[in-house]
Amino acid sequence: MKRLLFICVVALISAVLFGCTAARNSADPNANNSEDSTGSTEENNSEEGATITYWYWADNSEYSQLMQDIIKEFNETNDKGITVVGEEYPWDGGGYSETLFTAAIGGGGPDVASFKLTSTPLFTANDLLLNLDDYIANWDKKDDIDSNIYDIMKQASGTDSIYLMPWNTQVLYVYYRPSIFEEAGVEVPTTYEELLTAIEKTTMDTNGDGKTDVYGFGMRGATGGQEPWGSFIHARGGSFDDLTSEASIQGMKDFIDIYSNGYAPPTASTDGFNEIIANFKSGRTAMTIHHTGSSAEMVDTFGDDVSAFPFPAGEGQWTSMGDTENVIFESSQHKDAAFEWVAYLAAEKGQEDWTVATGNVPVSKSVQELDFFQDNEFMKASIEGMPFAGIVPIKDTTTEWISTIWPNTVAAALLGDKSAEEAMKILQEELHAE
Amino acid sequence: MSKKSFGNRILTLYIPLGIILFFLVFPFYWTFVTSIKPERELYGPTVTYWPEELTFASYAKLFGEFNFLLPMFNSLLVATITTVVTLTASTLAAYAFTRFDFKGKNIFMSLFLTNNMFPNVLLLIPLFAIMRSVNLLYTPTSLVIAYATFTIPFSVWMLTGYLKDLPSSLEEAAMIDGANRVKAFTRVVLPVLMPSIIATGVYIFIQSWNEYTFAVLFTNESTRTIPVTLKNLIGQLGVQWDLLTAGGIITIIPVCILFFFAQKKLIEGMTAGSVKG
Repeated sequence: MKRLLFICVVALISAVLFGCTAARNSADPNANNSEDSTGSTEENNSEEGATITYWYWADNSEYSQLMQDIIKEFNETNDKGITVVGEEYPWDGGGYSETLFTAAIGGGGPDVASFKLTSTPLFTANDLLLNLDDYIANWDKKDDIDSNIYDIMKQASGTDSIYLMPWNTQVLYVYYRPSIFEEAGVEVPTTYEELLTAIEKTTMDTNGDGKTDVYGFGMRGATGGQEPWGSFIHARGGSFDDLTSEASIQGMKDFIDIYSNGYAPPTASTDGFNEIIANFKSGRTAMTIHHTGSSAEMVDTFGDDVSAFPFPAGEGQWTSMGDTENVIFESSQHKDAAFEWVAYLAAEKGQEDWTVATGNVPVSKSVQELDFFQDNEFMKASIEGMPFAGIVPIKDTTTEWISTIWPNTVAAALLGDKSAEEAMKILQEELHAE
Repeated sequence: MSKKSFGNRILTLYIPLGIILFFLVFPFYWTFVTSIKPERELYGPTVTYWPEELTFASYAKLFGEFNFLLPMFNSLLVATITTVVTLTASTLAAYAFTRFDFKGKNIFMSLFLTNNMFPNVLLLIPLFAIMRSVNLLYTPTSLVIAYATFTIPFSVWMLTGYLKDLPSSLEEAAMIDGANRVKAFTRVVLPVLMPSIIATGVYIFIQSWNEYTFAVLFTNESTRTIPVTLKNLIGQLGVQWDLLTAGGIITIIPVCILFFFAQKKLIEGMTAGSVKG
């Protein structure tokens, strides 16, 4: 009987708790957990005093606090009485985009969310994102962002429209060791041909034992290597659109030659991010390609003996761009207020606060001009690379191509199992398969 | 002779036992040690198996600026209510399935089984839309209901197995002595079934405590549960190992306490029906 009584009491408590949570939900329409705050059931269309929800992920607890501070400042300073409610969601190895999609397709989701370019086709195919063309055309700070960035946003959606508001980027550049350059007697390359020469000359046997001690280029042959590789292809005038063109194949031949001539470590065909960074930090390589995400540890390791330059131009010029954008959802009832918020993050105080604190590359030209960015050689190399930065085409095949096809095919080419022509034919067919 | 048998015991019992224990305990030890290392040592080039300098800064940060008490409370609330609701529903359902004959009994049981064959992720969007339309989204209630969709069917099957092994003559005897069906159930069946109920309850509690997929979608900042909060510490470019391991250690404490108290009953429940005679 006591047990039954116990179960009844617990059940009663549960019922009370249920009631409380449900009551809280319905009694507080402006609370940050309310459905109304997502805007999807909001009746009031006025932008004055609008409350919008913003989903974002943060890479660590400092960034999390930083975003909350930026939101707080925006809420206090914007003259339209807009209130942004920030909701942090886990990055979850990219699962963030799936969570966002599920919520949006389920009729919920936020007004605004931080976003990755690669997810664009999925969301635009389901008409979930707001077309920003008119907003950007009428935006007074439209020209504060490089036109190339807008082009990348269009390319991601596969249309002539912009659905993503640029926020911050990571642009790949070439790290180099000034002391090794000096020892090899080479200058910082300004052309692609000079880069190839520098790679050759900085490959050195420093102790005279007949073995290479410093390799000119820290090549990334494992997943992720398609980004630096793309720079070689474009430098010969090739492109992702036609990987079987003569120019693209020549770029591939250059890439293979670097490895087969021994200008890259023998492990390059399987080297990933950790290996190229470790090789560079240990002095085993004279140059490697990455972005500002690793610059702090490079400076920790080498002090002044590390610097950077943008990937130089040949027939063409291209470097890979990592990205984080913001999107406004079509379901939002406060689209104008939502645009005020994404504009604040793209080219106003929010842009400066976020990029200065996180070390990401700003998209706003006026923020790029700040001493903080101009005095940092890695930031400068990134900013210089921005006008020719790009992305691997986003297709249904891209994920598989990046994770499996590219590393396997390029490894086979580097090891001599496939010719440059054969490898590029496979890469072309697999990337552009219908 | 005794020396030889002692040697045999070491070789055949203690050494294998030690190796197994090492594999079981070392991850927990490593998690704990990581949580009390200073940042300099944690990310330093030298691996240390015991910190040169002890610090509980990650725990202080976790409960201070990270406000870990809130997700702990939310997880406890959701897991406890889910366990109570599921056990109440599934014990009664299992009793009905084993003691009464009614039309569609087998169909219902099969439905419960097939429910578990679908990946939970398939239910995500429909449940999200339902919760949204009934204004339950972002409340602990939405999680309890979502968890009940897979804990109740499983628990019904589990308890049905136990109840089938329980002779109905027990309650029949009670009813001959004047007890009605309810009295026979509460006074006779429930006490005997208690180990099985506890075993099922522990399963439900752990499922609800660790669940992530529904939790990330059905909660917001104020109703986040532990798995979602911990996952926030794994960023795009790095992991905050100090906070993550401290959170991990804190997370397993309630489960350990639960096991500590339920251990005896749990073993009885898990072995119930294993020997017939």
